[in-house]
Amino acid sequence: MKTPTDHITLFTEISVWLTGFNEAELLATGMLDTYYQALQANSSQDDFSYFFKAVEIILHQNRNDIASTEKAIASMLMPVSAYNGIAGSIITMWYTGNWGNTVISGQAYIQGLVWDAAQTHPPGAKQPGFGSWNMPPL
Amino acid sequence: MESIQYDVVIVGSGISGAVIAKTLTLAGKRVLILEAGLEAGIALEGEAAYNAYQNYLETFYKAPAKAPNSPYPDLKDAPSIDVLDIVKLQPGKTSTKGYLVQKGPLPFASDCVRGPGGTTLHWLGTTLRMLPNDFKMKSVYGQSIDWPISYDDLKPYYQMAELEIGVSGDVHDQNYPGITPDFFGQQYVFPMKKIPQSYLDAVISKKTNKLKVNLHGKTYQLSCISTPQGRNSVPDTDYPYSKIVWNNREKKLKIEHADPYSNLPSLWDPYTGERCEGNASCVPICPVQAKYNALKTLKKADQKNLNILTKAVVSKVIIDDKTQQVTGIAYKRYTNPGEPEHTTGLATAHVYVLAASAIENAKILLASDAANSSDQVGRNLMGHLVMLTWGLSKEKVYPYRGPGSTTNIPTFRDGDFRSEHAAWISPIDNWGWSWPVFSPGSDVSTAIANGLFGKALRTHINEVVTRQVLLHFEVEQTPDPDNRVTIDPEYVDPLGNYKPVINYNVGDYMLKAFEAAKIVSDQIFAANDLEDHTVYNPVTDPDYVVYKGQGYTFRGAGHIVGTHRMGFTKQDSVVNKEQRCWDHSNLFLAGCGNMPTLGTSNPTLTMTALAFSAAENILKQLEH
Ligand SMILES: Cc1cc2nc3c(=O)[nH]c(=O)nc-3n(C[C@H](O)[C@H](O)[C@H](O)COP(=O)(O)OP(=O)(O)OC[C@H]3O[C@@H](n4cnc5c(N)ncnc54)[C@H](O)[C@@H]3O)c2cc1C
Ligand code: SF4
Repeated sequence: MKTPTDHITLFTEISVWLTGFNEAELLATGMLDTYYQALQANSSQDDFSYFFKAVEIILHQNRNDIASTEKAIASMLMPVSAYNGIAGSIITMWYTGNWGNTVISGQAYIQGLVWDAAQTHPPGAKQPGFGSWNMPPL
Repeated sequence: MESIQYDVVIVGSGISGAVIAKTLTLAGKRVLILEAGLEAGIALEGEAAYNAYQNYLETFYKAPAKAPNSPYPDLKDAPSIDVLDIVKLQPGKTSTKGYLVQKGPLPFASDCVRGPGGTTLHWLGTTLRMLPNDFKMKSVYGQSIDWPISYDDLKPYYQMAELEIGVSGDVHDQNYPGITPDFFGQQYVFPMKKIPQSYLDAVISKKTNKLKVNLHGKTYQLSCISTPQGRNSVPDTDYPYSKIVWNNREKKLKIEHADPYSNLPSLWDPYTGERCEGNASCVPICPVQAKYNALKTLKKADQKNLNILTKAVVSKVIIDDKTQQVTGIAYKRYTNPGEPEHTTGLATAHVYVLAASAIENAKILLASDAANSSDQVGRNLMGHLVMLTWGLSKEKVYPYRGPGSTTNIPTFRDGDFRSEHAAWISPIDNWGWSWPVFSPGSDVSTAIANGLFGKALRTHINEVVTRQVLLHFEVEQTPDPDNRVTIDPEYVDPLGNYKPVINYNVGDYMLKAFEAAKIVSDQIFAANDLEDHTVYNPVTDPDYVVYKGQGYTFRGAGHIVGTHRMGFTKQDSVVNKEQRCWDHSNLFLAGCGNMPTLGTSNPTLTMTALAFSAAENILKQLEH
């Protein structure tokens, strides 16, 4: 049986593959534990453990091969029919701070990575300062 | 408190009520404000103000739909009109979903905040003056009606409003159609220098400024200009004014030079909010209060002359049958906003002011059978009808940065075409497609549904979201007596107060403007090589209309105007040009409800100018 620590490690690794943000970028949000817990709280035990089993296999079998890892993720994790759409939910959490339509927490909203992807900041937080909008982002 | 003799009772602590309260208390008058919202929100300084506001901010962060009212408490006992309650109406069907009972045929689509400080908590802060011809639509264009006052009459009060709100802008940029060089007055400057325009504005203006467009056989040259707005930038040292004072000898309000102008920081800390910091969340909440809100005006009132009674929901104005004078204002005071239990009270004074926002003012008057000998109370409800067009730019424009809008196209604000169709203003939006399609959240969910993940997803989001362009075409709606607020005993809220019942539609004069605006929009899109993604959905869009076989969708701008119009005679209007009810000489009305027409400027600056003028008239009456 996997211990929670192993699952968190797997969660971190698969989150990097799913989001396109590297581990440092994900950890810098400070949201890892919160999202892991939200995933656990919102998924059935079966989906949760089968999902992590699949993740472990994908990451192990395709070690270091980007193309084959991505192919496996696309076919085994991304379909909505796979584990009740957990992979999509993980991306949604990291990008928007939401689980479905619910905002996980104020911090989760603020740490949404969609804003980084779009070279801006979440409305209402991390304000870039007077006049910054007058120039292209750094 | 009951034993205090008040000179004036004001209903509502929004900008119209706050401006009057501040002006009167500084002139030594004792004022009571009755406010429907919660006590916490009225805190004007220090920790209490900070905590109340942080609560709003935290609620905003957690709100799934970041709609204008999302940060503010929605009270069962004093419900707010909310855009989230708007639904598409089926023919002949009524929607009772929110506070408004919508009878249609189209739903009225603007909202407001019931709470201390009112709707300026979530306004955007655009502060344009109306144009001279806006005040004389009937005589110049044969449309709508004329105001009983002119632009020149209102001009000194516009200056007061610009000082009060703290407008940032560049007067030199402000070239509007139909104005003369003395529109602002020689050497006039705004209190603060202009808010920097966005990078997106610069990209779009490159191909749009001076663009020649054809409309109905005529050529117009577009211009793109900076927008004056009520948010802090760098104070202009050439700005001469700092105070508005009542001169009892001359019986006039005067804008005066006293100290150098200093801008209005946050309520809780003089070093927070001195500049707009680019939070890009002005609607619904500016985290640092760099944007003006009415609590800043209330804070400048003479507090020893001011009492504010919160949790007091006004239901009626009491009128003496014989004298037709108002003898008091009846309110219901709840302890818990979720429970119907309440006490009742009567507030008395010499003069009364309703400043509860246009729909609520009309509703209170109708419930009181007051001020309505003209049968105009509740009629002529209007707003700006916002037709949006959106597209993708080839060049990245980097939206979602800075205040909501920093540039506008004023070309169609006035012109001969107003004999045929409505005028409009086109703000260029800085916040991507968030309004029409809930970007960027919807971009993420669509991408995931399409199987995108990882680096490809990140790149896709970057490529799409950084190119989003949104234009507004904010069309002036003209007054129509059948667009109206009424009351019906069938529809009441938990305190037993009437809910406003709304009949609302949009006439051909506006529909023609949608057609015209779309023709202009298409030419702007072509010149900028924008890939058009605009969709007007007949099935899902609540305010979907058809003109000559083409469908258009409009949205509400948040501007609620016209329900107790000002006019020339007792027969044609609810208030006279002094904003006093024709029927009751000690009852004044304040707010956008007084405006006979609305032109193409967001209404609050004009309404604030009117509120100063009303305060002056109240002082004259009290000093008489
Ligand atoms: C999203 C949005 C954006 C906007 N942007 C702009 C803009 O950029 N520029 C512009 O000019 N305008 C804008 N507006 C419009 C602007 O916010 C309003 O015109 C303005 O705030 C109205 O001020 P008011 O004082 O008349 O009413 P409000 O600000 O609505 O205040 C009414 C007050 O009365 C109280 N009240 C209501 N009913 C009762 C009752 N029965 N008893 C006791 N108290 C009561 C309320 O709690 C509140 O304090 C915007 C509006 C919205 C919704
Ligand atoms: S852009 Fe940000 S700081 Fe500036 S007014 Fe809007 S919310 Fe406030």
